[in-house]
Amino acid sequence: MKSNYIKNWFSDLWKVFTHELKTVFSDGGFLIIFFVAGLGYPLLYGYIYSNGIVEDTPVAVVDLADCSESREFIREIDATRELSVAYRCQDMTEAQELFAARKVNGIMYFPSDYGDKRAHEETAKLSIYADMSCFLYYKNLLLGSENVMLHHMNNDAITYTENLPYNRTFSYSIFFLSAVLMLIIQQVMFYGTTMLAGTAREENRSFATLPASLHGHGVSRVIFGRGLVYWLLFMAIGIYIATIVPAVIGLPQRGDYWDIMLMLVIFVLDCVVFSQFWSSFINKRETVFVLLLFISPICLFLTGFSWPSSAIPPFWKAFSWLFPSTFGCQAFINLNTAGSTIASVRPLLHAMITQLAIYYALSCVAMYVEQQVIKRNA
Amino acid sequence: MKKYLDVIKRELEIWRKRPVYFLGSIVVMLFCTIFYLTFLGDGVPSKLPIGVVDYDNSSLTRNFIRQLNSTQLGEVIMYDDYASARKDMETGEITSICVLPEGMYADVQAQRKPEFTFYVNTLYFLGGSLAYKDILTMINLTSGAVKRQVFRMKGMSEYAIMGQLRPVDIDIHMIGNPTMNYGAYLANMMLPGVLQMVIVILVIYSLGTELKYGTSGHLLGISGGKIMPAVGGKMALYTLLFTSLGFSLMLLLYWVMGFPLKGSLALMLLDMFLLVIASEAVGIVIIGCVPVLRFALSIGALYSVMAFSLTGFTLPVDAFPAAIRGISEIFPLRHYYLFYVQNGIFGTGFAGVWKEIVHLMLFQLLPFLVLVRLKKAYIYQNYPKQ
Repeated sequence: MKSNYIKNWFSDLWKVFTHELKTVFSDGGFLIIFFVAGLGYPLLYGYIYSNGIVEDTPVAVVDLADCSESREFIREIDATRELSVAYRCQDMTEAQELFAARKVNGIMYFPSDYGDKRAHEETAKLSIYADMSCFLYYKNLLLGSENVMLHHMNNDAITYTENLPYNRTFSYSIFFLSAVLMLIIQQVMFYGTTMLAGTAREENRSFATLPASLHGHGVSRVIFGRGLVYWLLFMAIGIYIATIVPAVIGLPQRGDYWDIMLMLVIFVLDCVVFSQFWSSFINKRETVFVLLLFISPICLFLTGFSWPSSAIPPFWKAFSWLFPSTFGCQAFINLNTAGSTIASVRPLLHAMITQLAIYYALSCVAMYVEQQVIKRNA
Repeated sequence: MKKYLDVIKRELEIWRKRPVYFLGSIVVMLFCTIFYLTFLGDGVPSKLPIGVVDYDNSSLTRNFIRQLNSTQLGEVIMYDDYASARKDMETGEITSICVLPEGMYADVQAQRKPEFTFYVNTLYFLGGSLAYKDILTMINLTSGAVKRQVFRMKGMSEYAIMGQLRPVDIDIHMIGNPTMNYGAYLANMMLPGVLQMVIVILVIYSLGTELKYGTSGHLLGISGGKIMPAVGGKMALYTLLFTSLGFSLMLLLYWVMGFPLKGSLALMLLDMFLLVIASEAVGIVIIGCVPVLRFALSIGALYSVMAFSLTGFTLPVDAFPAAIRGISEIFPLRHYYLFYVQNGIFGTGFAGVWKEIVHLMLFQLLPFLVLVRLKKAYIYQNYPKQ
């Protein structure tokens, strides 16, 4: 009896598994998402952000002092990595015109008493106007001019060394791509699965929920069987995104391979049950795009990759726990790009495992409830 | 004209029956507006965790730590050794580490110039760069305080001392966002971005469902067999819906929230209107080229998500590879952004924005290329169906 049950369990699992695999590969819409978004998007993003450093931001200089000190300062500004002196203007009006025409992204104004003040060893004033249409321009103006200023300071009672491990040059690519890669896995899977679930419900196929042949039993084998398909497919995509893509696009790979694999196994499983659960609410194929496409950028912000997690309001912090990406993206940033060990990302792994358990239970409940509803309507 | 009205009436009936249109436009925009306007709090992060390892434990280092802790940006977290601090920095728990070396105070007293070392995790960009700035300021102030004592003992005047410590005072003006409000910076572009996404997707959905459910014949019947009233009637209604959403957004951002806007609000409304109709045009082109709802929606999704990156408000377009720089032109959001920069930041008036108006209007020509194809699809349903 017992062995018979186990045998049945596995044979049902196998049936569900093979059936789901066939469905997946005969659905053109899913395949577009899977191949174009899953395989193409990471490379495309990698290419767009291949040069993540903004260098030589053009500035206009208005030098009313016209003395050796100001000229020296200007030469040094021009020599920084951040800034380049593109125009020298007679007065502010001319500079402002260039500024508004966006030929320059900043103005440096040396007042006429600049030289006198420096000669008297007093504090001279330098005014800078930064174009805030993009914060990276501002960052360059600030860093470039401060570095030159520091060089002129007689303030060396304490010397310092700065160390920016992981991302030495404040590269936007390293920062952005590390965060976005795991999110792509989650979103591709989410949109893909919900599309398939929606299609199945539209066509009233019993495989959307429980196969009719199981007579209402075996919720777990269906979830396992279907989940296994997505897990397999997305482990393939996941390994590609986590190991091959970074090598192709030149993202640092400082993590231990097996640490990343372990994280990936848990993350992909987590995404599978996450998508399974939420797909229970989708009953039309296309509605997921209409209703939930906007969630992708929101998930990205919720990972805390840009706005620091310590500053996220409590409500949104709690909201972020709904998504595997909140933990998965951080785990990947820490493991792969910062090169930390599996031990130090343990809290994130625990969070994902908890999520996994909860979403698994919820998917079972959702499937059971839907089954009851279908029965009652029948 | 009557045909247009009939199409509009029919569309309204569809909206009433299927809540997806209401949910997909108004509810989505409402949720995103609440998200982007509350997620960033005051717009400037405060109390960033900064790790400090104090190997010296002197009055000088304690003073440094107190000062760092009392800045608006930083909050000090003490560690016993570098190794444990480093572990927390790797996982993003703290943004940075300051290491105060042993004998720092004694070295300062003896003018041996001790070396202060700090580490910043720049993978978390914003937190990292703000902490970097904060630490740099604080160490220069601490060093300056010591140096000032030395100069005073030499009998220099306060003026001369300041001249030595800070020969150039940099006074930086942030044009277009004077408080460096990250919330305003982001919401300014993310929310119109979400709107263009909603428009592209919903237009594709609205035109595509007619094919999917085979109701296109009925639609053409109402429009008298002509494609113009069919598409035009629908678009008139969608333009009304999205323009009112867009205008409410503009009023909310620049009037209620009071985000910086140098130019006129009227021009921003024009910008928004042009974004709405250009995005609709893009939606029509996608469903016209690929008259299969499922594929068109996938393409629309990939396209409209891409728009966020290629607009260049985070990483500027000049930093993209040359091939991508050109592609950024095909996104209405990119032109919306350039328009906004000219009007909202520089206030150059019509003279500054007319090029973007032309660009955005050019999108209106695109649907005419595909209307014939769309009409055929509507009549004959001649497209691959799985």
